Amino acid sequence: MENMGRAFVLKTLLKLTEIRKSFGAVKALKGVSFELRAGEVHALLGENGAGKSTLIKVMTGAHRPDGGIMELGGEEVSGLTPVRAQELGIACIYQQPALFPDLSVMENIGLRLEKVGIFHRVKWAMWRRKAEELLGQIGAEISPEAEVRSLSMPEQQLVEIACALGSGARIVIMDEPTASLTQKEQHLLFQVVRNLRAKGVGVVYISHRLEEIFALADRVTVLRDGESVGTNAVDGLNEAQMIRLMVGRDVETIYPTAEEEPGEVVLEVKNLACAESGLEGMSFQVRAGEVFGLAGLVGAGRTELARVLFGITPADGGSFSLNGKTVEIRSPREAISHGIAYVPEDRRRHGVVLEMAVAENITMASHRRWFKAGILRGGVETEAAQSFVEALGIKLSSPAAPGGSLSGGNQQKVSVARWLATQPKLLILDEPTQGVDVGAKGEIHRLVRELAKEGLAVLMISSDLPEIIGMSDRVGVMREGRLVEIFDNAHAEQVMAAALGSGEVAR
Amino acid sequence: MKKSGFFNHLLEKNEIILFWVIAMELVLFQFLGRNFLTSGNVSNIFRHSAEIGLLALVMTPVILTGGIDLSVGSLMGLCAVVFGILVKVFGIDPLSAAMLTILTGAMGGGVNAALVAGLKMPPLIVTLGTFSLFRGLAEALTRGSESYSGFSEGFLALGNSDLAGIPAQVWIVVVVGMMIWLIVHRTTYGRSLRAIGYGEEGALYAGLPVRRNLSIAYIMAGAVAGLAAVILVSRLGEARANAGMGYELLAITAVVLGGVSIFGGSGHVTGTVLGWIALAILNNGLTRISDYEIFGEKISSVARELSGLLTGLLLIAALALTICMKTLAARRVAKQT
Repeated sequence: MENMGRAFVLKTLLKLTEIRKSFGAVKALKGVSFELRAGEVHALLGENGAGKSTLIKVMTGAHRPDGGIMELGGEEVSGLTPVRAQELGIACIYQQPALFPDLSVMENIGLRLEKVGIFHRVKWAMWRRKAEELLGQIGAEISPEAEVRSLSMPEQQLVEIACALGSGARIVIMDEPTASLTQKEQHLLFQVVRNLRAKGVGVVYISHRLEEIFALADRVTVLRDGESVGTNAVDGLNEAQMIRLMVGRDVETIYPTAEEEPGEVVLEVKNLACAESGLEGMSFQVRAGEVFGLAGLVGAGRTELARVLFGITPADGGSFSLNGKTVEIRSPREAISHGIAYVPEDRRRHGVVLEMAVAENITMASHRRWFKAGILRGGVETEAAQSFVEALGIKLSSPAAPGGSLSGGNQQKVSVARWLATQPKLLILDEPTQGVDVGAKGEIHRLVRELAKEGLAVLMISSDLPEIIGMSDRVGVMREGRLVEIFDNAHAEQVMAAALGSGEVAR
Repeated sequence: MKKSGFFNHLLEKNEIILFWVIAMELVLFQFLGRNFLTSGNVSNIFRHSAEIGLLALVMTPVILTGGIDLSVGSLMGLCAVVFGILVKVFGIDPLSAAMLTILTGAMGGGVNAALVAGLKMPPLIVTLGTFSLFRGLAEALTRGSESYSGFSEGFLALGNSDLAGIPAQVWIVVVVGMMIWLIVHRTTYGRSLRAIGYGEEGALYAGLPVRRNLSIAYIMAGAVAGLAAVILVSRLGEARANAGMGYELLAITAVVLGGVSIFGGSGHVTGTVLGWIALAILNNGLTRISDYEIFGEKISSVARELSGLLTGLLLIAALALTICMKTLAARRVAKQT
């Protein structure tokens, strides 16, 4: 470790060639190539779902690739496991440090570096010395005795980095390490990253924030749709070029287009705020027959907005009205009675009860419509379910089949059917095509457009940039709990720039 | 799967297993015991276990939500004491007193409901707390030792007489059982309990009134515990603070034996009823075996101890069997595809 110096600079540490990985029908990585040198900070950039997380998991041995070659220090490795990856010197630092909060810093470091067993005696003095040494190496002023719980988030990240160093890591992967840091804390972290680089460690740095990449990285590899579109020296790029690399592809062709002018305003949001979900000053309208898209990065507050509108986390500021009538919604039940429907993002946890029959799932949000006085009637239920199954083209063996037996796309349609059964005026769709195969995706797109044509106001949240641009009549972009821009005719570059917050810089 | 479908169907269903268990119990005790299958003893089996049956029935909706109510046995003790005080100290007529006792039970259930549904505390901890609380209150009311007896003949008839050849309280169990069955399997309320059991958040996102429905389940459990207390007092002719001690565990055993998932969501009231009957027969049957000895003691004289042991074995065996059957079935399916 100590002998690792500038001599290692420019030596290739890790080389990935044409890595492929599929989950069922979803191709997460379709041939990604990536090279990390000793003593460089190599940024990994891409929109949500471009395959960054999957790639990291391949590097750390959490996922086994379906194809492609992975070389470490010039030697091919196969059958990598997380334990093996650690032994080979690959460490990953996540947004949320995975430390034991009730143990001290040196205990955390010591546990990570040593074999743990009932008969292993704790060598306190050694642990303390080692912890001090490692923390010193990265220039962190943290007492080895401090309880981890008492440390700030960046301090905890530093402890993680110290662990990584202590285990002899030559490759450190940092997954959005600054997501929850303040400006000052960021600078501290940057300094540590630069120290690591000077020691000859290769750093894979993942972040959405372009300015960080300019400040820190030597090279950048851009991922798009599970493919690496190229590796460039950061010095040779400007922000606009980087955004184009992330987005660049044609969007127009496949999406059904709006044919009619939107009708009256269904949802009007004025200055909406919710401290619990970190939302502030949201104002926008959604009209009948219109698809209003909400774009933004993961964590920008889009799902939180949906949860506020749907009454799961009620608003604490501002107001919103439905069909011109101001409403106050404190629970999903009230939302439903006002004609708001929400197809949630997490289909398996919130959208469909996997263990229950499809028919039961479809009628679940509209019991009062089908069952008088709360008495179940099997005939009515089957008939209602059957009509939605046909209308939406849900493929299943029988309406009595459990929801979990359906494919992802069909489950999503069941979730949509459940909400159409409530006869809503406003339909909120949260990532409606996430984890859905290509065929079902197109069907869902056509369905959404058809529903809009029938006069439904649709608020669609999606991290799939081409989808949001292709499907929406207007696109609102959220960043850090605020609605930052609304585009009538959005271009991918504009939306991405607004979502990243680089618009101000460019202007 | 297709070829031996019927047979598989027979074995995989928990209720069918219980049916066999009950049949085996009947044969065994008839063979080993004295006067087991006489009409008098069959009446006794149900008479003595009516209270546990009631608790098991009303525990079913609670467990379907993924919750549990450990406090029903203690609440029975509290309700029994309240009933005794109402009748013997305040001189209220037994019928009105019974109504007030059921109301007391409902209020006790309301405490659980407020903590579980309102404050979102874990049911296990809440009802473990009220388990001690209710029993403590009952003991405080009786100063630890007092009991109330000397109830009117008319009231004692509830627990000790027959109606159309069937013990009077068993009719109550039948009525409550049918009501619970209808509630669980034939109403949107019952449907929502399942949804809550499979995932509370999912139920909330579907717009179901999660808090209200959870509350109703616990309040119902309390009210029926009050009813069970009245029946117990009538059968024993005495109201004491220790009434219903340990009943909550027997009720939970019956429910789980009946195939209701302790994690919530799946299960049937018919399963609970079969589980209850299997337990009731086991408890009674052991007291009938006086010709055989175990550890140098007559089996009938250690029936209480043995029944605990056998109940535990039965529960574990039934669950293990169900899981084995499921694994086997899954393996068969996997082989064929």
